[in-house]
Amino acid sequence: MTKFSDKDILLEIKDLRIQGYSDETWVDIIKGVDLTLHRGEVMGLIGESGAGKSTIGAAAMGYARDGTRICEGSSIEFDGMELTTATESERRALRGSRIAYVAQSAAASFNPAHRIIDQHTEAPVHYRIKKRLEAQEDAMELYERLRLPNPQEIGFRYPHQVSGGQLQRAMTAMAMSCRPDLIIFDEPTTALDVTTQIEVLAAIRDIVDQFNTAAIYITHDLAVVAQMADTIKVLLKGEEVEQASTEEMLDNPQEDYTKSLWAVRSFKRKQKSRPTDGTEPLISVQNVHAAYTGGVKVLDDVSFDIYPGMTVAVVGESGSGKSTTARVITGLLPPMEGQVLFKGEPLPPKYTDRTRDQLRQAQMIYQMADTALNPKVKIHEIIGRPAQFYSGLKGTALKQRVDELLDLIELEPSQYYNRYPPELSGGQKQRIGIARALAAEPEFIICDEVTSALDQLVAEGILRLLDRLQRELGLAYMFITHDLATVRSIADEVVVMQNGKVVEQGPKDEMFRPPHHPYTDLLLSSVPEMDPNWLTELLEERGLDNIGEAATSKGDAAPST
Amino acid sequence: MSVFVIGYYAALIAASCLAAYFNYRRTFMLLFSLTLVSFVLGIIGGTPALRVVTIFAGALALAVGTSYAFKEFLVQIARPNLAKELRTAPLTASFGMFVIFTYAIAGIFAPVIAPHGEAEVIASAFAPPDANMLLGADQLGRDVFSRIIYGARNTVGLALTATILAFLMGALAGLLAAVKGGWFDQIMGRAADVIMSVPSLIFALLMLSIFGTSLVVIVIVVAVIYSPRVFRLTRAVAGNIVVMDYIEAAKLRGEGDWYLIRREILPNSMSPLIAEFGLEFCFVFLLIAGLSFLGLGIQPPTADWGSMVRENATLISFGDITPLIPAAAIALLTVAVNFVVDWMLFRSSGLKEH
Repeated sequence: MTKFSDKDILLEIKDLRIQGYSDETWVDIIKGVDLTLHRGEVMGLIGESGAGKSTIGAAAMGYARDGTRICEGSSIEFDGMELTTATESERRALRGSRIAYVAQSAAASFNPAHRIIDQHTEAPVHYRIKKRLEAQEDAMELYERLRLPNPQEIGFRYPHQVSGGQLQRAMTAMAMSCRPDLIIFDEPTTALDVTTQIEVLAAIRDIVDQFNTAAIYITHDLAVVAQMADTIKVLLKGEEVEQASTEEMLDNPQEDYTKSLWAVRSFKRKQKSRPTDGTEPLISVQNVHAAYTGGVKVLDDVSFDIYPGMTVAVVGESGSGKSTTARVITGLLPPMEGQVLFKGEPLPPKYTDRTRDQLRQAQMIYQMADTALNPKVKIHEIIGRPAQFYSGLKGTALKQRVDELLDLIELEPSQYYNRYPPELSGGQKQRIGIARALAAEPEFIICDEVTSALDQLVAEGILRLLDRLQRELGLAYMFITHDLATVRSIADEVVVMQNGKVVEQGPKDEMFRPPHHPYTDLLLSSVPEMDPNWLTELLEERGLDNIGEAATSKGDAAPST
Repeated sequence: MSVFVIGYYAALIAASCLAAYFNYRRTFMLLFSLTLVSFVLGIIGGTPALRVVTIFAGALALAVGTSYAFKEFLVQIARPNLAKELRTAPLTASFGMFVIFTYAIAGIFAPVIAPHGEAEVIASAFAPPDANMLLGADQLGRDVFSRIIYGARNTVGLALTATILAFLMGALAGLLAAVKGGWFDQIMGRAADVIMSVPSLIFALLMLSIFGTSLVVIVIVVAVIYSPRVFRLTRAVAGNIVVMDYIEAAKLRGEGDWYLIRREILPNSMSPLIAEFGLEFCFVFLLIAGLSFLGLGIQPPTADWGSMVRENATLISFGDITPLIPAAAIALLTVAVNFVVDWMLFRSSGLKEH
């Protein structure tokens, strides 16, 4: 707080109330939030989904999304200008030139039909700040500062021709194009891999420093916000929980809710080791090679075993073949070579050739509960169908089984029996997905990034539930994830994949102890830690040119120290 | 200056002042511009022109009032879920529903409502309207009003049957093509292309001249012509659904195609299909009316709006509007169905009003 004097206030929000329209009434979303941001200050807004982080971010631009309205009595003062009473054209004149916005998914926010640099120069040309050619030169300079490869040329590509991390940096460059006073970052790295996330974080931090830009950084990842922000504001259900400088907040959180957020990653279960009495592995993937029709090889000689009652975490960044391995095991993608054994018996490569019992044994839980549950089917039918299909249950027996399953996933049966998936929250939907898998009474469940779409508190609840179910029912899990914190808390064994190959595998305690395979090392060191100096130290250690994608490509050749 | 003219302007100006006072900007602009236009209109057309304006405004107000009341009525009698949806419906949609409802009543109770039989000759040819015949007689001396009522049953019934058949064929083929994929998809797709490549009216004329003009043939021919459109839409909608994880989960469970279609895909593709049904119904209806106009549709003496236009077409040169009445009946139904479809499309597209 001492870093900024009161004279330099850029944005002052007082008693912000925002209402959303649902079920024919206006409901409060934001219930009186105050926010003061100085020039050059970076404020982190954190909270779980539905806490109103993004809504406040949009309100800082004087914008209320469709179906929401800013209530009377709220005040949003940007550099002496009251945005709630300003006309639409006055507000529009601010956006892009003095306040910029970086969205979560750059891939979805860029227009795929125009080149990146044309979209970049649109704002400066529109506001007559620069001529087109000047703006292009400036863009190239910004690209260079953001350490994009080949800055002279990259802007002339179309959005789909550059990678996700590069696109996110290009979007940050675009936000800087008019040298705004304030940038709002709305979860800019949530959709990226850990290795890519670092370069974006480093780039954003540098450029915000260089131009003394104020920023509001919205995220639900505490470790990320610790690297970026000067002050942190914690939100819960549209209300402020507390606000403090980053160091203070990390060392000494005041409120119980904040403490619970900090403690989330503490969940850890005891590691089990493989049975030594000669039990056959439940699932054994043997030398599997696979490719999608006509494409390049996605899996290259993948082998690993999963023993009964154990959790095997498969980690790697996107495109490493984690989910493809799952598709091979379930039979959705028949392998070109190799086989999958179930209790020593080879499984037919295509799921259509498998018997009902073989299908029943391997169930899946999906990443996006929204697409994994049919929105037009009631909960009891979603859960009841596998029980009916495999065990032939009917009438009261079926209802009893559904109630039992709902109890198992800690949802009150009478309350959820007749509801539809869209009426549930993300965590509840994921629980229904788990119940559907359990209804088949399997011995083996594939969990495909089950917690990555959830908030940390909710994710922890799901992990605890999965752990309890494993203990009670003796299930084996194949846990696909890119989040190493999840691996730490739940896995027994770890399989690290890169470019379709298994680069390293073994029990968890060995995997987290050096020496590592260089790629494992890169993955491990890229996970943000709660220490505010972590990013600075990491960058010093690796050097500026050796982060993110550059490091990944070097991972094979250069052994790390 | 008659009392009517004075009252006319007084009412308009009073209404404009009230709108301005209560800050209804758009209502005020509308009313006051109407006042200004009426000055010009009154000078040029005199009192009759102003009377026409009044009648139009009255008819519009009547339609709005009826739609509003009908909507409230539907909200009252519908189940809670449906009532919530209906409450958000615009007035145009409830107007559409009211018109469709009226046509349905006319069609179902035609023999009770119509004063005479559809083929009954009761007067001389082209007899003018009198107390017995509301809209006069046609070229053979049959009551035009009765024939219009019966036409609602014949033309609309036929179009509805043909549309339903087209939907059954097209939707089933589309869903199967999306689920099965591969060669089945290819064969169905190419077959649909072939049918769509022939202009529909010419194709219908050809088929009807080969197979005769019995009702069954008309229904089948029209259904075959329109099913490829339904096929394409259904396949596209279902294609977006079969890639979802819940379909994958069901497939991995070992569910058959029929279960996938019935329980997983169909509930999620209903709203675009229903909207398309309304739209297709209009096209089918117009095609059947067109075929009747050309003499290949419903055969005389059965009353049909398309052939009624043709039979009385000569009257138009005498300034008589009789042939326009069945045409107006066709137009009104088409517009009404489109109003309802618009609302459904709006709903299924997930757009929200600001």
